[in-house]
Amino acid sequence: MASRIEIYSPEGLRLDGRRWNEVRHFRCAINTHPVSSDGSSIIEQGNTKVICNVIGPAEPTLRSRVIPDRVSISVKLVVAPFSMIERRKRPQSDSRIQEMCSSLQHVFEDAVIAHLFPRSQIDVNLYIVAQDGGILQACINATTLALIDAGVPMYDYVCACTAGMLDREVLLDLNRIEESAMPFLTMATIGGTRKVALLQLEMTVQFDRLEPMMAAAMSGCHHIRDLMDTEVRKHGKSRLERGSL
Amino acid sequence: MPRDLTPSTIENTFVLKALTERIRLDSRSFNQLRDLDISFSSTDYGVVDVKLGRTRVIARISAEITQPYADRPYDGLFIISTEISPMAAPTFEAGRKSEDELVISRIIEKSIRRSGALDTEALCIISGEKCWAVRADVHFLDHDGGLMDAACIAVSAGLLHFRRPDITIVGVGSRREVIVHPITERVPVPLAVLHVPICVTFSFFDVRKASAAIAGLPGKDNMKEADDDDVEEENDSSTAVLVDATLQEELLRHGFMSVTANTNREICQIQKGGDMPVEVGKLLSCSEAAIMVAEKVTKLIKKRLKEDEARRNVGNLLVEARAENDR
Repeated sequence: MASRIEIYSPEGLRLDGRRWNEVRHFRCAINTHPVSSDGSSIIEQGNTKVICNVIGPAEPTLRSRVIPDRVSISVKLVVAPFSMIERRKRPQSDSRIQEMCSSLQHVFEDAVIAHLFPRSQIDVNLYIVAQDGGILQACINATTLALIDAGVPMYDYVCACTAGMLDREVLLDLNRIEESAMPFLTMATIGGTRKVALLQLEMTVQFDRLEPMMAAAMSGCHHIRDLMDTEVRKHGKSRLERGSL
Repeated sequence: MPRDLTPSTIENTFVLKALTERIRLDSRSFNQLRDLDISFSSTDYGVVDVKLGRTRVIARISAEITQPYADRPYDGLFIISTEISPMAAPTFEAGRKSEDELVISRIIEKSIRRSGALDTEALCIISGEKCWAVRADVHFLDHDGGLMDAACIAVSAGLLHFRRPDITIVGVGSRREVIVHPITERVPVPLAVLHVPICVTFSFFDVRKASAAIAGLPGKDNMKEADDDDVEEENDSSTAVLVDATLQEELLRHGFMSVTANTNREICQIQKGGDMPVEVGKLLSCSEAAIMVAEKVTKLIKKRLKEDEARRNVGNLLVEARAENDR
């Protein structure tokens, strides 16, 4: 079955008709849950859909979580059982989910201006509603937007993108089928800079192929940053016009 | 109850100030590994004792015959168990997974299992019915930083050292039987190890943050001139990169990246946590340095394996005892 799927045609087209350096259709909405949370966002990257709710900064729920000079961030990730093709319930203690939560927590503890909220806690709740590759990157992007909506001061956007290498071709922003067919890495950058907040590679790749993958992922991150920035400014403008803030 | 290992403020400022002057407390250079000692058990196959500086880790490889998973009838099983007990350090709790433990176990999983270091197809005996289940148990005896690195070296060396009993399949069809030959009868067989993954951890220090932490002391804003053989870019000297941190350096670091490489110039996994953003060129040079470390360590493993083989194989009797023909 796998051999009949042509991941990258000789004309340079992928399964969904994209070129090698095109990201998937990026749609985001901010302030989608104004009542239940301080900040919220929904991100759709291709078919991957993630909802993020942020509550805080607020009083910490657990005394042990209190850090005296900065804010502590707690991330909870729930993968909906209907998000994959086969219905499967993932327990909260699944090590992959816990690892993603831990990565997200570290990324945002450094991205948020933490010393402004000592002894406080920010709760980030993520719901993966549909999975089609690039879950970690969608979670990072969704969390960035939700934190912005919550009014949490941040140094810059944190934008994430995936890039893979099929033989010698670099492909940007992979979907699920492409992710299982080639080694890929997930990279998160700080806005439009060359600083990398998170880098994750899980399959073996030749060292010489690493640099083009990282370069492609970085330019993908910068592109996503521009897309997010456009949406945030549009949203801000519409709220100003509506007069509700 | 786990004890917090936070170092005192005096220790903090001392270590960070030394780093701004390019000094490590054990007078290593920034990209120098600690003394690595690998020893194999003289009685059992597959038991490795790794000492990386003062960090001590023991790995034990064992194999038994079991049924394969229903959806993968041609593959054997390979399980790595990395439970850290309070013996290693008081910060670990028996039975409860701390976040550090989660990171360590995930990285070892990715480095060794997901990268395919052990060929699981070679572990199949009768497809769908019987297969070998190889189990690697890692015991952390002493924590002085670099638990991931030491554990990865231990499991890789253990897989290369381990010998499983030889088997014969008799009978046909549904009445096939597997005869396991004890090692007194037949020479045991090594596992099919495809590559030797070695994990290297790089610790990042933000010099500007370090200088702020030692505020009041006369210090420099940027590092001193980088030496030629250090893993640094000349134009970005605000980030210090240390290879193989001791526990003290680990507790004080602002960020880390662990890279697993092998001698085929392949990178098996990279995990750079979100703690501190680092310029991308630096990450690439770290990956390249990891390959050089992997080559050095693999050479040492192979050397020790040879010495162990010579010790066990006095008079070359094992060669005579082999049941295979020379082809």
